[in-house]
Amino acid sequence: MLRYIGRRLLQLIPVIILISILIFTIVKATPGDPVGSNLDPRATAEQRQAERARLGLDKPIPVQYWNWITRSVQGDFGDSYIYKRPVIEVIPDFIKNSMILNIFVYIFAFLVSIPIGIITAVRQYSKTDNFFSAFSIIGISMPTFFFGLLLIYFFGVKNQWFPISGMETVGKNIEGLAHVKDVLNHIALPGIVLIIANLASLVRYTRTSMLEVINQDYIRTARSKGLEEKVVIYKHAFRNALIPIITIVGFTIPSLFSGAVMLETVFNWPGIGRVLVDAVNLRDYNLLMALNMFFAILTLLGNLLADIGYALVDPRIRVD
Amino acid sequence: MKRRLSLLLALFLVLSLFLVACGDTEEPVESEGPTDSEEETSSNPAIAREGSEDTIIIGMTEAKGEFMPVYYSTVYDAYVNEYMFDALITNDEEGNYIPHVAESWEISEDNKTYTFHLRDDVTFWDGEPLTAHDVEFTYLAMADPNYDGRYFLYPQLMEGYEEYVEGDAEDMSGIQVIDDYTISFTFKEVEATNIDYLTMFIMPEHHYGFEKGDIETLKSKMLDPLGSGGYKYVGYEPAQYVELEANPDYFLGEPKIKNLILKFVTPDTMMAELETGAVDVLEGVTNTVENFEIMEGMGFIHLNSFPNNGYSYIGFNLRDPRLADKNVRQALAYGFDRQGFVDNFFKGHGSVAHVPLSPVSWAYTDELEEKMNKYEYNPDKANQLLDEAGWVMGDDGIREKDGMRLEFVYSTYPDVEWTEQLAPVLIDNWGKIGVGLEINYMDFNAMTDAVFEQQDFDMWNMAWALDIDPDAYDVFHSSQSVKSGNNAGGFDNPRNDELLIAGRKELDQEKRKDIYEEWALLINEELPYIFVYQRDQWNMVNDRIQGFEASPYQEISHPAVYLNWEIAQ
Repeated sequence: MLRYIGRRLLQLIPVIILISILIFTIVKATPGDPVGSNLDPRATAEQRQAERARLGLDKPIPVQYWNWITRSVQGDFGDSYIYKRPVIEVIPDFIKNSMILNIFVYIFAFLVSIPIGIITAVRQYSKTDNFFSAFSIIGISMPTFFFGLLLIYFFGVKNQWFPISGMETVGKNIEGLAHVKDVLNHIALPGIVLIIANLASLVRYTRTSMLEVINQDYIRTARSKGLEEKVVIYKHAFRNALIPIITIVGFTIPSLFSGAVMLETVFNWPGIGRVLVDAVNLRDYNLLMALNMFFAILTLLGNLLADIGYALVDPRIRVD
Repeated sequence: MKRRLSLLLALFLVLSLFLVACGDTEEPVESEGPTDSEEETSSNPAIAREGSEDTIIIGMTEAKGEFMPVYYSTVYDAYVNEYMFDALITNDEEGNYIPHVAESWEISEDNKTYTFHLRDDVTFWDGEPLTAHDVEFTYLAMADPNYDGRYFLYPQLMEGYEEYVEGDAEDMSGIQVIDDYTISFTFKEVEATNIDYLTMFIMPEHHYGFEKGDIETLKSKMLDPLGSGGYKYVGYEPAQYVELEANPDYFLGEPKIKNLILKFVTPDTMMAELETGAVDVLEGVTNTVENFEIMEGMGFIHLNSFPNNGYSYIGFNLRDPRLADKNVRQALAYGFDRQGFVDNFFKGHGSVAHVPLSPVSWAYTDELEEKMNKYEYNPDKANQLLDEAGWVMGDDGIREKDGMRLEFVYSTYPDVEWTEQLAPVLIDNWGKIGVGLEINYMDFNAMTDAVFEQQDFDMWNMAWALDIDPDAYDVFHSSQSVKSGNNAGGFDNPRNDELLIAGRKELDQEKRKDIYEEWALLINEELPYIFVYQRDQWNMVNDRIQGFEASPYQEISHPAVYLNWEIAQ
């Protein structure tokens, strides 16, 4: 198993290099550059050229790529043009904020959606099933910004139960448990929106996957053997239905760290999603490349974890 | 099949419930308008907020944490810096320079040297006195060989800059510390705008000091500011807020409001934050009728409104033979109902612009106002001008001449309300005078690239912010019509160049008034741009705060503004 993981990790290296070339090319192919974000808008042509030269943007793209990759493998991702500080100092705060929200959301979403998915599959076409099917479709199709604004109106403005924006109450400087409570209070509204959006698709995945297994011959065999229904469902069926769910979990890992742009904008959550959009709009190449590569690597690692997960739940899948 | 139908029905029901709910939301807002005022003041939610008795929370767009005078670049970081730092001189409400840290200054016979006499009672937050050495240090930081901020021009205009940047010089010959409280600056050229470059906020050398060339040491203190300003730095959470507290030893007196928090808000929810009392002030609210009505509905908010220091415009590519003809540009101005657009869009909270000067500027004289052509909407006159210029109406309603068609690609950016509303108005208005328009929406950065870097466009729209000084060399001088320059349209007029230079060289304000009047009238006649509007800038202020009066030249962070704030008991 360890050898397998080692081999897979080695295979990642060329993939990562290819991805970096691809992203770098796309980023550089977009018209515009970051010179405007530092200079005075009324800067003269010579000043703009000097700034471009200072940032190394006047060199051919392959040279720029080489400069970037040689710096980056040494851990120097450059300065963010927007924040005027090293990228490596800027990113962690925002990722941490996104993670606080996401961890809360995903734990909750998985804990609730998997049992619901199982129940709806076992009792296919029952009232419970129909209810959750309708619920899921609404959850999937409702735009998060719209749902977010609805919640803000009803629970933030009309009834002021929850704070409507930000991550903590400003000007209070509360510490310890009171601070945790304050943050949870701020998570409430964006959390509900995200949970419902995720819940919906997770319930659908679990249900479909369970249905497929339940209709298999060996489940009928297990039932006809006289096994208890609980054992049939949770031991025989669920374990086999887990594989697609593990795929989803693997895919979820990168989104733990990334932010939901719309939601962060509506609830003014200080997460990484908005920073990424700013970086795109202002062509903050260093920040943009660092973030894109971070998410790309996370996605690859998520896939690897899913593959390992398959082997753990399904003895038929051998990795060596 | 039956099952699917019931599912659809269920969906419909749920959706219609939502729609009904949405419909409901509008009613209470409307009915809140005419309730009696007694009830409203008692329900001011900001008063109930914990700690509100000595704290003001201002909602504004995000500052990026550039808390260092020589490095900040956004407007919002500029606010934070101005609360924390002081410059030698500042400006009054009319835009005239007045003493600040310097109690007086004089200009040498040859008009090149400015000598400042500093007050001796200004101290930094740690109690150290602010001296001429700190001023020199601040200017040398911007002259550092490795300095990569945007203010390199400040020392560059002074003598000895090249020797300092490129050589081993320990200081600049153009910056002389005469004694602890006297400093002089010598410029290379005589220019009226020189004094604008003596306004950098002063940074203490004992806190920020670094070896020449080691700019990284300076930059690492970006989030560790130490200044002399009326508000001291308490803390900053990225993308959330900046917290400041009153400096009891401020040389202009302790601010009355003990805590000042700048909370970063987004347009989606900023009005809701004001309504729930989460913020006391909203800075820079877009001046739409909707926002005004929402504000009125709250009942406990008043408006601090003043003309924004800038204008928006439609620029032409004068290299295009069709647009090089002044008659065509003037016809386009007569043929576009600017007053109608501005009235419809701003409903009285903005006005039509005619020249690249702010009406609040000293350079915008009554005579100028009288003499300039306002190009009032007149499609007949526009048609007449085009007819005279030889543009003949074609069969498809587009004018033609010598095989050229009066049909343009108009580059603009989406997601900004005024540009989105402007495009259809232009298509309609100009269509009536036989001018066709194709709208090309681009993301803002891509558009600036196409216009200013590639110069590949017919027309575009954008806005310029104005400084206190009317000088517009960077925008209109023919030397700036090269690629990357700001004169992207290629406006090239010898008299314009002469006047722009004369305006810089003349130091007497009365004579400068005449120069800029002639220049503004020339631009008004030649129309390298069609000027569209100057909007009002809005700060929405909770009634519990008194004395909140920002103005075009004194924004919310100016000491003359914030020292007046009081919380009503």
